[in-house]
Amino acid sequence: MHTPLCFRSEIHVPGLGNSVKQDLKTLKATVDERNLTDMWDMMLMLDYNVANADDLSPETREEFYGIISLLLKAFKE
Amino acid sequence: MPTKNETVFTELGTRAIEKGLADPQLTAFYDSMMSSSGLVSDKIREHMPYLSLCSDKLIKNYPPPIFYVGRRSSQRVLFGEDWAMQQDQELKTPDPDLEEASTAAYRAALSGGPYYGYARASIDIGGKIVDIAFERLIIALRPSPKSERRFCAYFGVIQDLQQQ
Repeated sequence: MHTPLCFRSEIHVPGLGNSVKQDLKTLKATVDERNLTDMWDMMLMLDYNVANADDLSPETREEFYGIISLLLKAFKE
Repeated sequence: MPTKNETVFTELGTRAIEKGLADPQLTAFYDSMMSSSGLVSDKIREHMPYLSLCSDKLIKNYPPPIFYVGRRSSQRVLFGEDWAMQQDQELKTPDPDLEEASTAAYRAALSGGPYYGYARASIDIGGKIVDIAFERLIIALRPSPKSERRFCAYFGVIQDLQQQ
């Protein structure tokens, strides 16, 4: 009998998803402040096909967090 | 001891794409963007995996920092997953010589129309010298019609890749 493979996306770390969710809220405030809201919306729609970051799965939420972190650095005044 | 060959960047111009001389996927991306007048639309979605996106901030002689590296983009293939996933500082390609040499293309895309060209270079990737030939298209886009923001979309196609 085969043992099922354990993919990274199947590993659940209690509380981690909520933490990233909270971090994204903080990041969104910075995005709005820096006038990058249209870039945030564009990335959500084009790469994840959702209108709201709350609709992202925990795994894609982390990935999106990474993109937005880089976005803020890339458009640093 | 491996040595770097001279970097050659040649602008071919978008007429070369229109004449059917460019990579088919790159051509499809170009046609999509031209039909939407430089605005982001749903048409870009199918091309996202092959794109790298960067800001419009040219800093001195360096291209704008990158914020998105598509899952199948040539930069991810060339520089690796670890490079593409880093978030701690501004994301730039790892070879400073190549960075500097490629700046003019971004400047052209941001000040004029889309840039399409061919490049041949030796790149230092973690101490290994790699000879590469690639074509690239850089287009400045706006995320929405009323947006004051612009960013650059980079579509690169590796034609030849050899480690020295």
